[in-house]
Order: sequence, then C-alpha cells, then structure tokens
Amino acid sequence: MKTPELFGVAILFVSFALAKEKAPLPKDLPAYGPEKPSQAPAVKATKLENGLTVWLISEPGFPKVSFAVAARGGMAADPADRPGISELLSKALDQGTKSRTAKQIAEEIQAAGGDIDIQAGKDAIVVSTSFLSSQTDGALTVLADVLENASFPDNEVALAKRNLADSLRQREAEPSFLAARAMARVLFGDNPYHVTAPTQESVEAATSTDLRRIYGQRFRPDQALLVVVGDFENDKMTDLLNAKFAAWKAPAEAPVVVQARFSNTLKPVVSLVPRPNSVQTTLWFGTLGPLRSDPDYEAADVANAIYGGTFSSRLVSNIREDKGYTYAAFGLVHTYRAAGVLITRADVRNEVTPASVNEMTYELNRLATTSPTEEELATARRYLVGIEAIQLQSRASVAGELANLWVLDLPPEEIGAYGQRVARITAAQVDTAARKYFPASRARIVVVGEEKIVRDAFELYGLPVETLH
Amino acid sequence: MKQWLYSSLWFVALFVTLPAMSQLWIAPTAMKKLANGLTVVVSEDHSAPTFGIAVSYGIGFRLEPEGRTGFAHLFEHMMFEGTPNAPKGILDRVIEGGGGTNNGDTRYDFTEYIETAPISALDPVLWLEADRMKTLDFSAKNLENQRSVVEEEVRLNVMNQPYGLFYAIDLPGKAYDTYPNAHNFYGDFKDLDAAKIADVEKFYDQYYAPNNAVLAVVGDVHPDEVFAKVQEYFGAIPSRLTPPLPGLEEPPQQAERRATEKDKLAKVPALAIGYRMPPRRSLDALVGAVTGELLHNGQASRLYQVLVKDKQVALSVDGGVNWPLGASFEYNGPTLMTSFVVYPSNITESQVLAAYDITIKDLEHKGPSRQDLDRVVSKMRSDWYGHLESPIDRASALSHAVLFDGSFERVYHIPDDLAKVTSAQVRAFAAKYLVRTNRTIIVREPAPPDQAATKPGEEP
Repeated sequence: MKTPELFGVAILFVSFALAKEKAPLPKDLPAYGPEKPSQAPAVKATKLENGLTVWLISEPGFPKVSFAVAARGGMAADPADRPGISELLSKALDQGTKSRTAKQIAEEIQAAGGDIDIQAGKDAIVVSTSFLSSQTDGALTVLADVLENASFPDNEVALAKRNLADSLRQREAEPSFLAARAMARVLFGDNPYHVTAPTQESVEAATSTDLRRIYGQRFRPDQALLVVVGDFENDKMTDLLNAKFAAWKAPAEAPVVVQARFSNTLKPVVSLVPRPNSVQTTLWFGTLGPLRSDPDYEAADVANAIYGGTFSSRLVSNIREDKGYTYAAFGLVHTYRAAGVLITRADVRNEVTPASVNEMTYELNRLATTSPTEEELATARRYLVGIEAIQLQSRASVAGELANLWVLDLPPEEIGAYGQRVARITAAQVDTAARKYFPASRARIVVVGEEKIVRDAFELYGLPVETLH
Repeated sequence: MKQWLYSSLWFVALFVTLPAMSQLWIAPTAMKKLANGLTVVVSEDHSAPTFGIAVSYGIGFRLEPEGRTGFAHLFEHMMFEGTPNAPKGILDRVIEGGGGTNNGDTRYDFTEYIETAPISALDPVLWLEADRMKTLDFSAKNLENQRSVVEEEVRLNVMNQPYGLFYAIDLPGKAYDTYPNAHNFYGDFKDLDAAKIADVEKFYDQYYAPNNAVLAVVGDVHPDEVFAKVQEYFGAIPSRLTPPLPGLEEPPQQAERRATEKDKLAKVPALAIGYRMPPRRSLDALVGAVTGELLHNGQASRLYQVLVKDKQVALSVDGGVNWPLGASFEYNGPTLMTSFVVYPSNITESQVLAAYDITIKDLEHKGPSRQDLDRVVSKMRSDWYGHLESPIDRASALSHAVLFDGSFERVYHIPDDLAKVTSAQVRAFAAKYLVRTNRTIIVREPAPPDQAATKPGEEP
C-alpha cells in the first residue's frame, strides 16, 4: 500500500514534491476541466416535540440510511475521580435496556443491516450506525430504546469493566496510543481535556450506578442532536422520529457543560514515553491551534496542507520521498469544542531519529518564515475544497460531520461554507497563520521509543528530555 | 470469460423464496473492451460532481518471484515514482491540485491504483493512468528511496506493533505449503534489499499490460464519454503477452497444524485460527462467506456471543473469509477463514479453543435458524452496499469482479445469492470444512520481561 490505511481506517491524505523548483507539467497533460461546484446538502433542521434537535438530509435512491446521535458531555466532562469513564459508558450503553438484553439489541440492529458504533470523544458521545432503508422502522425502534432506556445491567457492566481494563493494557502496547495520551497531557496539563482514555484505576472504581447517573445527566433530548441522512422523505422521517423518540424527556436538573479555553504558554520540553523493543521512534510535534470558529482556522488548514497535510506537501516530499526516513509522516489540524490542536507525526527507524527531528523542525520553521509558492497555495486550496466534496459522497461521513459541527456549536451550513472560505484564502493569510502556529519553538515534542536512542538524539539539540509514562 | 460454474445447479437444487427484507440495488453500469485488451467499466452516479477510478492489474502477492518476497507491493510503490513524461512528483501534484486523493493497494490477486476527485480532474487523471501504463522511470535512485519507505512501512505495521499482523502473514505461512500462498507478502528484508531495477523492468513488462488490466470509472460521467476518453488516452498502448497463470492449488492438508510465537510488544495473548476454504467459484464458497459472517460479524455473531459474552474467555473476536485483506468474495486463489481472538492473560489457550470448538460444533449440529440467516444476510447486504456507495470503492469492486470473472454483474447480485443459502448448507459446510484436520492455529504469547530485554551490545 502506498499510504497508510491498511486495515479499515482510511486516512485521507496522500503525498510528495520538490518544493523549490518543481518540474514543469508534461506538455500534453490535459488541463483541468471546468469547475463544477458541489451542492451543499439540503439540511432540514427541526426540533421534535420533546426538544430534540434533528437534522435531516433526504437522499432517495441508494438504499441505505446513516444515523447519528451526539450527546453533549464526553471525556472532558467526566468526574475528576473517574477520568475516561465516558469510554466505559460507551462500551456499556448498548448492553441492555429495560426491555431488551444486549444480545437482543445486537441481533435487532444486525437484522436491519447495522452495527451500533459508540464513540466517546472529549466533548460528546456519538452513537452512530448505517442500515438498510427497508429496515428503518426496526432500526429506529432499537436505537431509540438504547438512547432512552439504557439500563446498565450489573453483570454487563462488570464484564465491560474487565474487558476494558485488558483492552487498555493491549492499547498501551501501541506507540500511537502512548503518543496521543502523552501529547494530550503536555498540551492540556491538568485540564480535563488531557484525558484520552480511562485509567486502570478509574475503570476499577467505576460502578453501574456511576454509569446510570452520568447517562441520566447527558443523554437527554435538550442536550442531543439526531442526524439522519439517506433514503427517506423528510416529512415521513420526522413523523417516525416523533413516534419513536416521543418518550425521551429531559430531566429537571441542569446539564453539565465544560467551557475551557487554553492559552499557549508551553515550554519546549521533550516528553519521552519509553517503549522497550521499539524498532521505530514515534515522533509527534504538537501545539495549540485555532478553534474551528476562529477567523484564521481555514488559513491554518491551508498552511498545514502545504506543510504536511497532503502527499505532495513539503514534509512528505522531504522525509519520505527524498530521504526515505518514514512511511507515514503527516500534519493535521484538529478541533475540539474548547481547543484546537496542530499535530505533526512520523514513525521513523531508530537510526534516523536525530536526522528526522532536524528535518521536521526545518519544515515547521520554513513554513513559518517563508511564503508558499503560488502553486503550493493553489494546490492546497483546491485539495481542501475537493476533499470536502469527496466526503459528501458518503452518507455516514456526512452524518458524522454534521454531528461534529453541532458539538462544536456550528450550524449545518458549515458544510459548503468551509470550502467557500478556503477558496478565498490568500498567501498573506497563510503567512500569518504559519508564523502564529507553526514555529518549531512553539511545539511540544512527544517521543515514543527506545529510551537511549531518544535521549541521544535530543542531546544533540540541547533539549531537556522528561520521562512520561 | 467464465460464468459461475454453479449458476445452473443453483436454481435447480437450492432455490428458496427470497426473504421479505431483500432489497436489490443495481447501479447503471456499462462495459467495453479496447482492441488492446484493456477492459473499461463505467457506472454513472450523478449524486455528486465527483468521480472515482480504479485501475486493477492481474498481479498480486502470489505471482511475485521466489527470492523476491514483498516485490509486488514494492513495485506498487514504484508506480508512483514517475515516468519519462511525468517525472516523480507530478502525479500527486496534479491529483491533489485537482482536489483529489490517490492510493494503491496490493493484494493476493490484484494490484489496484485508485483515485477520487472532483469531476474537473477526470481528464488529467486518465492521462496520468495511461502514462504509467506506457512506461515508467526505471530509476535506481527512486527504487532505493522506495525500498526504504517500504521497509519503514513494514516496521510500522509489523515489527513495531503488538501482534505484528501474525494472523495475516504467519497464519497463511503455516497453513499453506507452496510459495505463492505461503510466503510473507510484505517481504523479508533480505528479499526487499535484493530487488534490482532489472526486476522492476521485468515485472512491469510481464504484468502491467493493458490486456492484464481493468479500468473502472464511477461518478458524474456518461459511459460513452468515458469510453471515448479512454480510447483516446489508452488506445495506442500495445498489448503484450503475459505469463500464463501458474497452478495455485495446494496439496491437501492432512492434520491440524499448530505453532506458538513469542511477542515482545504485546501485553495480552492472542491466537489465530485459519481454515482452508473451498475455491471461490463454488457453491461451497458462497455458503462459506455466510458462515464466516455468522461466526464473526459484530456483537450478534456466534463467536462474540460465546467467547466474549457467555464463556468470557476472550476480549475480542475478528475474522471471516479472506479477512483481513478483503471482502469474502474478492480473492482468486486459496484463502482462509480466519479468526483472530485476543484473550485475557488469566485465560489459557485451551480454554479459548474449547469455547471455540463448542461454537463450531453447535453450528454444525443445529445450524442457524431462518431468522439467524436472514439477519446475517441483511447485514452482509448492508455492508456490501456500503462498500459500493462511494465512487472510489465501487470502482474498485467493479474492477476486481471484471478482472476475476470478465463480468461485473455479480457485484450487484451477491446479496441476493447470499440470501439463498440454507441452514442445511451451513451445517454441511461446517461438517466438511470447519474440522481440525483443515485448520491451523498460531498462539501469540507476550514474551516474559526477561526475554524482552535486549542485552547490551546486542541488536534487538
């Protein structure tokens, strides 16, 4: 495989370039055809009688329906003595209701052609699935039951706890899990945003009573969004949702909402997570970036595409296509409700660890100190606009993006509006964003690998190395 | 090319009324063959102003030369390294500058090159695919570069990960006896290191001919327009002789095979079980696909319910026919039904296997109910349609079907074919194939800490 997406997760970036003087295009290469802008999907936004916000996109024809519910409050809202309990809640949520066993739930959703996927993020828990449109009634029946009547049976919670504890041990063997956990710790400090997963202690301490309480606080129609995309008519779907979700009522108590804002006062320290027997060093550079609603978000996104967000970007051209240090190197911009992050990562063989740090630092600083070429800027803008159009091809990705926008307090019209803003980004705006966010001195560095190799590498740069487990 | 061998038998012997949940979906699709042997498939879909394309070549892991394990995949990387007309870097610049993405995948029986982009990029993308079907920049420097990149890919996905894909690489290695099916497809480093530019040239000459390829385009296009463009860009590429397909059959397995491996990175034990499957063009294979999903698909599956829920001897169960390298229908030679089970440290391998064997025996003795079958077939229909939803994925599936069978119809009819599988067939399948003498088991144990430590001055 050319780029990493080996089993399952497709990573939408691809790669390479000679940044300074690029070769001219072949003489007989046909030019791009006329632009045919993609139509932003027509979102029908309504509220059900119980206050649940509903966003619908009717796309008849293809016989599937994608469904997502986002409930506010995720790992950042977990109690301080139960960090990451949202993840346990996500494992146990579909393991029983007042009238259905876990097995019945799994079988009913399978009969409709779906699986229930539950993801605990920092700001929300998102429940999603895709099913056959001919089975819509059956699917919505079981989904509504799970969302309204989850019962967290003691035996199921006990099993979920045991399996989550072991699965945490298993994930702690993976370098990317260790790096993500350490990076969140160094970027967010003691703020609840630093939680990326539960701890063994929090899993051990959690009870089904905890889960029922947190579920009651967060899974309520006035704090949730329901998205349905696919093969249905809006009016009929609205009636069906009113019927299926009518019994879901909000409790009297006020919802828990986390509002945090972070300032960037980070010191350049290298945080090492020792991982014996590593044959590669996992290098992450991370910094706080713009919020999705900030005026320079799109400029940062374009800057990142030039830097490391595409296969033809500078970073990939340099450390992969020129030097062969890595298979997977990339930069990404990600936003949560109360924080944005910029992450660069590369997994490099042990011997080239010091050289890779040099090149990554160089490319960050080059972006921060020199303007992109016209071609780089044009490519980055067109790439980001095109990717937005491509993501509209999948009902599940549209449903997921709408849920994400709602969690970030943004309207559904952001799909489409984002691309229009990106298309207008200027070189000057990219320069400003690059200088603000990309200097290497601004980044915190997290490294997972063989301790001696990492320490020797950073000794060269005079950067202090702290150990973080 | 060949039709399905069983198709005439099928309706006579096995026809049952389709369940009510059947919901056949067929996208308008057309096919044409150029004079040089390149087959072109087009599926119109005007729901978005975008397209997906797949160019699949009839070459995969099985046919890479002995002493050159991993070469088909290393070669795939060389397809992105430029041509005399479009030097290294142009392809990605043009596709990304057109708002699109690209990638390549190497599997046992095909290597595919895939792109998706706004429709305005269709002409340059077709031109670029035609350009690399004409010749490559056979550059030793680029080979050296991509050799390093591929070795980093192997480190990333195999050597630096717990379990190291042992269920995908080591399991077939133990289950099969002949080189094409048994060798390490990601490549031993000594073989990757030995690859020369002459190997690249020969491989390209042998397998990257238009008559060994299928091009599929899906999206905001009209078939005649695409056929005309493909004729313009690809029509002059000469066809070439490709080597005859060697026999891929395995000598029969006589006894259960077992191995134990130590894992320096894993913290929790795992095991993988592989059963040899019947040939793809057989009725048994279709029953096998359904059986594989009955056992493995999601929390409703039998193995999940027994191993994770009832007996509580496993943390997770994954698997199926041809898993994890493709759908249960997308292969063209020997394949396994694989189960990958991660289990707690305080559970033994024999406890896991005892629960596993009970599950298999139960399926063989009682069989699935009609309701069980309807449910899993509904899920398989939904999963498969989900796989056909995006243009790039549909183009990929169409190109594989045409490469293997010369026709695309099966892509749309698979779900209805699956719906005809009966409980008696599943029982017979389990009795015939899911037996100990037909399986291979590899247990992967975390290495104890003293073994994990590297002695000073010694390479890990």
